[in-house]
Amino acid sequence: MSDRRIGVYICYCGGNISDYVDCDRVRDAIEHDEGVVVAKTTMFACSDAAQQEIIDDIKEQKLDAMVVASCSPTLHLFTFRGVAERAKLNPYLYVQVNLREQCSWAHTDVPALATDKAVYMVKAGIAKARLTVPLDKTRIDTVPRSLVIGAGISGLRAALGLSDLGISVFVAEKTEKIGGWVADMGRMYPHDRRGNELIADLVEEVQKRDNIQIYTQAELAEKSGSVGDFNVKLNVKCELIPLNVGSIIVTTGFHSYQPADGEFAYGAEGVLTLPEFKQLLDQCEDELSYQGKAVSKVSYIYCVGSRDASGAEGANAYCSRYCCNAAMHASSVAHDLSPKLHQFHLYRDTRSYGKYELLYQKARRQGALFIKFNADAPPQVEKSNGGFRILVKDVLTYGEELDIDSDLIVLVTAMEPRPNQALNDIIKVPLGLDGFFKEIHPKLRPVETVIDGVFIAGAAQAPRNSAESVASALAATAKSAALLKKGYVELEPLIAEVDPDACSWCDQCVASCPYSAISKKNFGEKEIAEINAAVCKGCGCCVPDCPQGALGVKGYTDGQIKAMIDAMEVANG
Amino acid sequence: MAKVNPDFIKKVTASKQFNASECMNCGVCGAVCPMEIELLPRKLFRYALLGLEDKVLEHTPVIYQCLLCKMCEANCTADVHIAENVRFLRTYISKKVYQL
Repeated sequence: MSDRRIGVYICYCGGNISDYVDCDRVRDAIEHDEGVVVAKTTMFACSDAAQQEIIDDIKEQKLDAMVVASCSPTLHLFTFRGVAERAKLNPYLYVQVNLREQCSWAHTDVPALATDKAVYMVKAGIAKARLTVPLDKTRIDTVPRSLVIGAGISGLRAALGLSDLGISVFVAEKTEKIGGWVADMGRMYPHDRRGNELIADLVEEVQKRDNIQIYTQAELAEKSGSVGDFNVKLNVKCELIPLNVGSIIVTTGFHSYQPADGEFAYGAEGVLTLPEFKQLLDQCEDELSYQGKAVSKVSYIYCVGSRDASGAEGANAYCSRYCCNAAMHASSVAHDLSPKLHQFHLYRDTRSYGKYELLYQKARRQGALFIKFNADAPPQVEKSNGGFRILVKDVLTYGEELDIDSDLIVLVTAMEPRPNQALNDIIKVPLGLDGFFKEIHPKLRPVETVIDGVFIAGAAQAPRNSAESVASALAATAKSAALLKKGYVELEPLIAEVDPDACSWCDQCVASCPYSAISKKNFGEKEIAEINAAVCKGCGCCVPDCPQGALGVKGYTDGQIKAMIDAMEVANG
Repeated sequence: MAKVNPDFIKKVTASKQFNASECMNCGVCGAVCPMEIELLPRKLFRYALLGLEDKVLEHTPVIYQCLLCKMCEANCTADVHIAENVRFLRTYISKKVYQL
């Protein structure tokens, strides 16, 4: 007989459950189960009154485990853990059974069978509750220092933001110069300010700060430790510098798509990528000229290196998003230089989202002609007496075949993920399908990664313009500071554990762990596996890989899972 | 194959700017036209802007069918001066074709 004292609460969910599941029959079926001291039904278990009733029961009946059979744990797991805590019961002695999503809503057509299933589910929950043990959160003290990788506009802005909040910052820049792409830019959208001036302002401010240290020609060489307390080593000009930081912000930026030789005649003089054209614009003083010759006609070809649906290896299926606006802005800059310039924009679709519509409007009002082509009929570029001839089918005149003369051709090129295998191997932030660093949730957790304490920002995460990059850098700053300013972090205890007697250190689990949370330690006479509690996510990948059965996940032990299955079998006769 | 001639528009423009580049191809003009001319300004004005002179001349009858009622202009979401543009084209054709 179990000596546990379990309280079981079966929720009607105001009819969401009780319309299909006979909750009172469920209660009758389980109230004499081993260890059950209290068994009740309730209209809304999450209501204040019901929560108070559970707290009173826990105190008066001296309950040492509780089961609420209600909705999905996604919705109310933390609610009822909170109830347990308020009643001075360890929150990990609470088990939630998902009767709503997994039973009543799924079986609206067969209420009688739904009730039978609900009985099995609640019995399984009780069986699990019998084997619960109190667990404590892991507490880690954090260090008030951050490492920013990449000194582009995002990295510099993040460093300043952290510095403002009193957090010391180390910035590691791979190249010799700081400022990244923007440092080489002339006029940029959306503010029409010069990129090199923006970076100069940032650098001037950074240099005033005592708590920002920038390392150039520096790469991350090693990373150990965990959230709030990382030990990293920077390889700075072949010298290893050890640092202890609480968080890491990755702002490694992008790589600009380099067209293949012959792609829209690229390689011939007079065919430029957008970054090359922007440099040309910046170098021209009174009029737009290329290699000493005045330019009178420019054609832009959009989506070069983007939105390639061919599925070929290395083809970028995504839209690079910044480039339509950048090309329209460049068109206006070119117009300012040479007002009589004829400009032709050959586009597939324009994405001048939000206020950038005004850039589009401005370019058109300045006389730029926009010609839409279909993806399956891209423009053909031929050389012709000193310039180029572009043949394209214009969708907006219903397929009229146009023949355009041009002095210069600008390929509006994509933003690509920066190839950086060495860093990826150390930092272990997963990459998305497109090869950019991946956040946990694009809307709700946009700068956090699955590696706690490691944040991403800027164009390392997705194609972005400078304004959007800085916005995300400041978001990462805020998340980083929120983590470090508190002084400590508390981590879920539902992680892997090792049975030291069974473990014989075969190291198979090391390969199965996606978070590098397992290492070797000495245990008496032998070596066994050790779980780093701050790094382990409790995913359970290691458990079935252990040939000795020495691994388990707390809160989901083999014993608990077997007991749940047994309870269902018994209930099913 | 039609040769694009961005200088053509200068021949058409009399006083003010020929403005059709703001057209976003929504089609409201065609929908409200009492003459059911679906061509204006989406296609015809693009011919003019692109400098496809033959295409413009080919549509001479349509250009003269227009009542200049400005129904399209009043409903244009992009503020294209449709009727004014048509008058530019008529002036051009009167001179070029009818030698007036």
